[in-house]
Amino acid sequence: MELPGKGLVKGLAVTLGTLTQRTGTQQYPDVEPDLPPRTRGVIALIEENCTVCMLCARECPDWCIYIDSHKEEVVVPGAARARQRNVLDRFAIDFSLCMYCGICIEVCPFDALHWTPEFEYAEHDIRDLLHEKDRLEEWVATVPAPPAHDHRGEPAKEQTAAAKRSGQSAV
Amino acid sequence: MTSELTVGTGAGLDTADMVLNIGPQHPSTHGVLRLKLVLDGERVLSAEPIIGYMHRGAEKLFEVRDYRQIIMLANRHDWLSAFCNELGVVLAVERLMGIEVPDRAVWLRTALAELNRVLNHLMFLGSYPLEIGAITPVFYAFRERETIQAVLEEASGGRMHYMYNRVGGLKEEVPAGWTTRARTAIDQVRRRMPDLDNLIRRNEIFLARTVGVGVLSAADAAAYGASGPVARASGLDFDLRRDEPYLAYGALDVPVVTRTTGDCHARFEVLLDQVYASLDLAQTCLDEVDKLTGPVNVRLPKVVKAPEGHTYAWTENPLGINGYYLVSHGEKTPWRLKLRTASYSNVQALSKLLPGTLVPDLIAILGSMFFVVGDVDK
Repeated sequence: MELPGKGLVKGLAVTLGTLTQRTGTQQYPDVEPDLPPRTRGVIALIEENCTVCMLCARECPDWCIYIDSHKEEVVVPGAARARQRNVLDRFAIDFSLCMYCGICIEVCPFDALHWTPEFEYAEHDIRDLLHEKDRLEEWVATVPAPPAHDHRGEPAKEQTAAAKRSGQSAV
Repeated sequence: MTSELTVGTGAGLDTADMVLNIGPQHPSTHGVLRLKLVLDGERVLSAEPIIGYMHRGAEKLFEVRDYRQIIMLANRHDWLSAFCNELGVVLAVERLMGIEVPDRAVWLRTALAELNRVLNHLMFLGSYPLEIGAITPVFYAFRERETIQAVLEEASGGRMHYMYNRVGGLKEEVPAGWTTRARTAIDQVRRRMPDLDNLIRRNEIFLARTVGVGVLSAADAAAYGASGPVARASGLDFDLRRDEPYLAYGALDVPVVTRTTGDCHARFEVLLDQVYASLDLAQTCLDEVDKLTGPVNVRLPKVVKAPEGHTYAWTENPLGINGYYLVSHGEKTPWRLKLRTASYSNVQALSKLLPGTLVPDLIAILGSMFFVVGDVDK
């Protein structure tokens, strides 16, 4: 038979112990949290890289990416025929629908989309969560460099591709 | 002349049973589970769990999404064990496609699955005492959760919906130095776990609320298809990690935590002891990961199509057995992906457990069944 009240005393001892320790409170609005580079906060768009291939909009599980474009003729001197080029008119992501899976970023063949850990874009009106092209481009400045991979694993495919192009081995 | 006097209304001294709805919005039901109770005073005569308020048609959506998109949907039905949910899907697809997953990915997945189990259990270790009136443990539980979430966030980018599994392995390699930081986090949580343990495990008030309350017999647990910590607390010694190993569990010595009393306190203790066991398992897996080199995924065809056929993959999720029955007609979406979730079966046992108990005990029992409503309703 245990001493009556022993459990309570043990619990109070924990409280007393914690009382003497430093607090771990993060002073959030005053001190920014230190988020890892892979954190999925918001999606940034680099417009120049986008070729309007529509892969992101097609692969999005809940179709929250809206893309409008038109074709433009580019006359190349010396070429027999004018070339056609896609011009992006509208690129918008509805963050009220987005499920933050990152498939659009994964499928983008030209690295036009990037995750950034920024998270302070809450709105009073849900309609304001629809970020248009200019808003998405503002996030580009906050895109962190990707972390280096564990040396036991394989290097990132971008690293391998870059090394191949420059004729050196990766890492 | 005689006159008749009626005292009160209705049938004099006869008391009427009261039908009381707990939920769909009630703080102790973690979401939108509704319990229809018939009460005689404070005593529950019958209880019927009414489910479906959070039905999101996940299974139907699976049929119109490709295998990568399914991972995103699947990690959401039980939002406390997203990584383990993802695993079930990818294991089923990999088996059907005959993909051999690289060793490094297998061990990393095992480590992450165990860390996810710790996260899930810590949530309930905090919320369960909260439901029956002890507010302090939740702060300690969330301190530990935060430590482990940071580790998972660094690798996957997500805090709850990791989206880190892919058919054939993991999304990408873990960052440099991650295994060391993960080990540090595990050590830290293991060192601080006695705080939570000392606060609540043998607390007299907690014991008074939980010991001998809501006893689920092993036979009933088996009859209702209960699994996981709920079934093991009743003495059903069944754990897929040991009994039908998947991932790297075959090479691990998985300690299966069981109790025999089957009451609320036993269920809580199973959870608490499983945290220690899972921390050890995760540590072993990380040591193994550090010995392995090579890729963490395989090159997939541009369009992933599972060949015609069917398979059933089941895993020991934190809350119990989670199964995916995948039927493919060789297209890029499954023809059918049936989901068997632990919470769904565990909640059914409530209709057996609750009759005869008092209303205050009902909350203690409800909280100790450890379910996630998203996992019940799918």
